Amino acid sequence: MRESPGAASADAPAFESVERLRKRLGDYLGAAAGRPVSVTDVAKFPAGFSWITCAVSLSGFPDAEEAILRVGPPYGLFAPYSAMPEFESLSALAGGDVPAPRVYLASDDPAILGAPFFLSEKVEGDTPLPWGSQGQALEGARRDSLAADFIGALAALHRFDWRATPLAKWGEGVTLDNAAHRQIDDWEARFRRWTLRPHPMAHRALAWLRANAPAARRLSMVHGDYRLGNFLERDGRISAILDWELVHLGDPVEDLGWAFLPQYRGGTPLVCGLASEADFLARYEAQSGLSVDRASLRFYLVFSLLKLAFTHMAAARCFEDGLFNDMRMPAMATQIAPVFRQIGRTLEQAA
Amino acid sequence: MNNSLGRLIDGMVATLRKEVIPRVEGDYARGQAFGVVYMLNSLKLRASWSNAFLLDQLSALEDASRELKALAPDLPGAPLLDVHAPAALPDANALEAMRDAGDASLCNLIDWLGANRARLPEQAVARAETAIDTYLARQAKYEISTSARPMFVEMSGGAEKT
Repeated sequence: MRESPGAASADAPAFESVERLRKRLGDYLGAAAGRPVSVTDVAKFPAGFSWITCAVSLSGFPDAEEAILRVGPPYGLFAPYSAMPEFESLSALAGGDVPAPRVYLASDDPAILGAPFFLSEKVEGDTPLPWGSQGQALEGARRDSLAADFIGALAALHRFDWRATPLAKWGEGVTLDNAAHRQIDDWEARFRRWTLRPHPMAHRALAWLRANAPAARRLSMVHGDYRLGNFLERDGRISAILDWELVHLGDPVEDLGWAFLPQYRGGTPLVCGLASEADFLARYEAQSGLSVDRASLRFYLVFSLLKLAFTHMAAARCFEDGLFNDMRMPAMATQIAPVFRQIGRTLEQAA
Repeated sequence: MNNSLGRLIDGMVATLRKEVIPRVEGDYARGQAFGVVYMLNSLKLRASWSNAFLLDQLSALEDASRELKALAPDLPGAPLLDVHAPAALPDANALEAMRDAGDASLCNLIDWLGANRARLPEQAVARAETAIDTYLARQAKYEISTSARPMFVEMSGGAEKT
């Protein structure tokens, strides 16, 4: 499905061919529903470097006539994938205070579509982009409304009682003291897998993070990519928070560090182009019931910058290995040095 | 090639932006074309004709020079060439390998400092880290100065930035 969905070779995975995808997915959904289901249309969304996202039209499926299919291809940015973290987290959040798509089915069995996948509700809305929709910043009542929803949804996520859901199993081994260290370890392992050359700044930042890792004040569900560009907007309201592939249990301040990155400010001084840092923190603290330690926030800002640099390295690796020819990937890779410079300046200020 | 590499890239970029991209259908396809433009602009800041290409030409000149010099007795007063090709020009791959080896050594030192910080004199660690940070800042500055202006708005929207 990467380049010409209808023209995939016969031995390509099922998700690469529209016809085979329709047949296999229809059969799978039919077996799950206990009645015939057919997939009448598949339309791939062009955005994204990681999961493949398609709008699918369904006939006979009891939950919906339109749905979103997400497939985690073996060549994706964060491959290898499992659909389960996103499926389980969205299942747990269903019907709560966090606007998120309902999920219907998921499987990691490659025999079905050739890669892990899940099927979810098709939520109406558009995606404001971090670099500004043609350079236009969010403004006025629309911005205020989106800010309220964005901060409110994050606070609700971090208040969410995951221990009372099947996600409790995720908590094994995660403590207030080791939450930050687990994330450092996790991302360092990715860095070692992705890097194409030695990066002293990455080592410098990792050493700083290990020496300054804070204890969490709460263990929460952490979205992992909470920012402008990862929610749907409809009529000035957030209709759904998207892209839960990095969801995990950890320090809620981690999501703040990521959302506070300069890269997601849409050319404004505002957090995600929505609210000033002070306003954001005051409203978040009031709604989450969590006092945000400013040293922790700085730690997670450095962590987020490093995570961003590593993500750019993943793009460079994917392109270099010939897994993708998407020209946005080498373009992302050119941003490693600017991010490293930001890390250097942040460490200098912290000294 | 008679044109300079920089001018060739400028021409390719201008042709893509003025003649090709406006006629391409679809935001995604145009975004990809802007990606090509962006990477060409970045290449312009870093690329040159290959050393091997130039070395071959110098070697040919050296051969001609030697043969012509042998004719000197028969060509009195002729302005003969005296070209000597270097044995080997610095190869880009070799230079890159040297840089990577140096960076790898620095990575090891940073890791070692992190692991042994507690037993080392504080001032020595601070001086070492200052030296490392100076190098890292210089390296980042160089990388940034040899990268083209980002075009993420164009690449995501498939249109020239307004």
